[in-house]
Amino acid sequence: MIGKLKAMIDKHTIFYIIIGMCFIFSLFFVYNNHPFYEQPIAKVIETVVTETTETEDQYGNKDTLFVQEIVAEIKNGEEKGKHVHLVNEYSSSGAYDFEYKSGNELFIYTNKDGPSLAGDIIDVKRDKYIVIAMWIFIFSLLLVGRRQGFFAAISLAINMLLLSWALDIYVNTGLNLLWIIGITVVLFTVSSLLLVNGRNAKTYAAIITTVLGTFISMLITYLAIWATSGKGLYYEEMSFLTRPYQLVFLAGLFVGSLGAVMDVAISISSALYELYQRDHHISNNSLKESGLNIGKDIMGTMTNILFFAYISGSIPILIVYFKNASPLGYALSLNLSLEIARALSGGIGIVITIPIGIYTTIFLINRKREKL
Amino acid sequence: MNVLVLLAIILCLLMVLIGGKKGAKSFISLFLNFGVLWVIILEMTLPQANPNLLAIVAGVAISCINLFFINEVNSKTIAAFIATVITITILLFIIYTLTEKAMIQGFGGEEIDELIDVYSLHLGVDFIKIATAVIILSTIGAIIDVAISITSPMQEIFQRHPSINRKELFISGLTIGKDILGSNTNTLFFAFIGGYLALFLWFKDLSYSFSQIINSKIFSAEMITIFCAGIGIALVIPITSWISALYLVRGRDKI
Repeated sequence: MIGKLKAMIDKHTIFYIIIGMCFIFSLFFVYNNHPFYEQPIAKVIETVVTETTETEDQYGNKDTLFVQEIVAEIKNGEEKGKHVHLVNEYSSSGAYDFEYKSGNELFIYTNKDGPSLAGDIIDVKRDKYIVIAMWIFIFSLLLVGRRQGFFAAISLAINMLLLSWALDIYVNTGLNLLWIIGITVVLFTVSSLLLVNGRNAKTYAAIITTVLGTFISMLITYLAIWATSGKGLYYEEMSFLTRPYQLVFLAGLFVGSLGAVMDVAISISSALYELYQRDHHISNNSLKESGLNIGKDIMGTMTNILFFAYISGSIPILIVYFKNASPLGYALSLNLSLEIARALSGGIGIVITIPIGIYTTIFLINRKREKL
Repeated sequence: MNVLVLLAIILCLLMVLIGGKKGAKSFISLFLNFGVLWVIILEMTLPQANPNLLAIVAGVAISCINLFFINEVNSKTIAAFIATVITITILLFIIYTLTEKAMIQGFGGEEIDELIDVYSLHLGVDFIKIATAVIILSTIGAIIDVAISITSPMQEIFQRHPSINRKELFISGLTIGKDILGSNTNTLFFAFIGGYLALFLWFKDLSYSFSQIINSKIFSAEMITIFCAGIGIALVIPITSWISALYLVRGRDKI
C-alpha cells in the first residue's frame, strides 16, 4: 500500500518535472531561436516619431498617422550584431499596421543604403507569444483539471495534427474534400471521446451518436442549400481561395459543429447510463423522459456557444464596412451570411443529436439487458 | 427561398418539437443575443467608445439572456451570472496583454488584400481593444455554459446534503468542472477550426513554411483565441465553484 503510494507520488513528481522542463526549454528556445530563421530578424532598440498627420476620410472618420524611424539590431545571419535603420508608418487605430516599441522583434529585408544598413519590415515575430499563450493554457488546464485537463490538452494536440494531416492529403491528392473530412470527423470523434471519457459503454454510445448526428445534420443542411440553390450565401469572404468555395464551406460545417455534437452526445449517454446503473429495471420511457429533460436544458446554451464562436469573428470587418458607410444589407450578407449559416446548421446538429443520443443509448442499454 | 431563412425555420421547428416551451425560448434567445451583438457593434464604431468596456457590458447582457431568460432567476443562475462576469473581467486583462504584445489585432494581408483598395482602414477606432473584445465574445457562450453546468448540480448536492460545509461543496464543484473541461474546450476548438478551414487550406496551398505559418498574424490570432478560450473555461470552474459554495452556504446560515 505504502509502496504503491510512493510509486504514485514519484510518478506525479516525475510528470511535473517533465512538464516544467518542457516549459523552461521551450521558452528558452523561442527567445533564442533566431539562428534557425533564414529571414533576418531585428530587435527594435529605439524609435522616434518623425511625422504626425491628422487625417479625415470622406465619411468623417478621424485618425492620426505616424511615421516612426527605428534603429534595430540584427539578431541572426551574416549581419548579426549590426544596427539597421527602418522606417514604419502606422495609424492610431492599427487595423493593418503596428506601432513598434523597443524590444519588439521583426522580420526584415536588409539592403545596403550608403554606409549604413537599411531595411524593410515584413512582419512581427510572434512565435514566442503563441508559446506563452500555450503554456498559460496548459497550466490552467492542469491546475484546474489535473488528469482530465492533461487529456483535454493532449486531445486538442492530436486533433490539430489530424486536421493538418487530412488537409495535406487533400492538397496533395485532390480526393474529394468531403470524403476526407468525413473520415477525419470519425477519427476526431473516436480520439477525443476516448481520450476525454475513457473506454466504456457510454463512450461507445456517444461515438455512435456523434457520428450519426453530424452526418444527419450535414445532410439536412446540404438539402436545405440544394433546395434553395444556395440563395443567400455569399462566398466573397473566401474569395482568396483557389478551390471550390462551397465544398470548403461544407467541410467547415462538418468540422465546426462536431465539438458541440460530441458534447451533447456524451452528456446524454453518460446521464442515461448513470440512471441505468442505479436501477437496472428502469423503463425505456423514463430513460427517454430523462434524456429529453437533459436535452432541453442544454440545447439553448449549446447553440449559443456556437453562435458566439462564429459570429464574433466578424466584428472587426463589420466595423470597417459600417465606418465606410456601406449599405447595411450589403455589409451583412457579405460578411455574416456564412457565419449565420454555420451557427444555424450547428444548432440543427445539436438539437437533432438529442433524440439520436437517447435512442442509441437506450438501444445499447437494452442489448446489454438482453445479455444479462 | 433564402438558405438562412430555411435553416432558421428547420432549427425553430426542431427546437420546439424536441424542447417544447424551453426550446422556443432557446430559439428566441438566439435573436436576443444577435440584438445585443448588433448594438455592441454599432457602439464600437463610435470614436470615443471603449471596446473593452463594451465587451463587459455585452457579457453582462448576454449572461442575463442565457441564464435568466432561458432558465429563470434563482440561486443557480445568480451564482452562474456573478461567476461569468468575474471571469470575463479577469480574462480581459490576460487577452488584452497577449493581443497587444503579439500584435494580432486587425486584419491579416490574406483577408484584406481586396478590401484595402476600396475601404479606408484609418477609422479612429482601437483595433487592439476590438480584437480583445472579439476573443471575449467568442468565448462567452462557453463560459456561461460551464458556469451553469456547475451551479445546477452543486445545488442538487447541497439540497441532498444540507449539512455539507463550504469547502466540501467547493471541491464537488471542482470535480464536476473537471468532467466538463475537456468537452467544452473541444466544442470551441472545433467551432474555431471549422470557421478557419478555408484559411488553413490556403496556407497549405501556398506551401507556407512552418515558421511562416506560426508567425503569421491570422494563424497566431487563431491559436491565441483557442488558447484564451481554454484559459477562460479553466478559469470559470474554480470561480463558479467558489461563488456557488459561498452563496449556498451563506444562504443556509442566514436562516
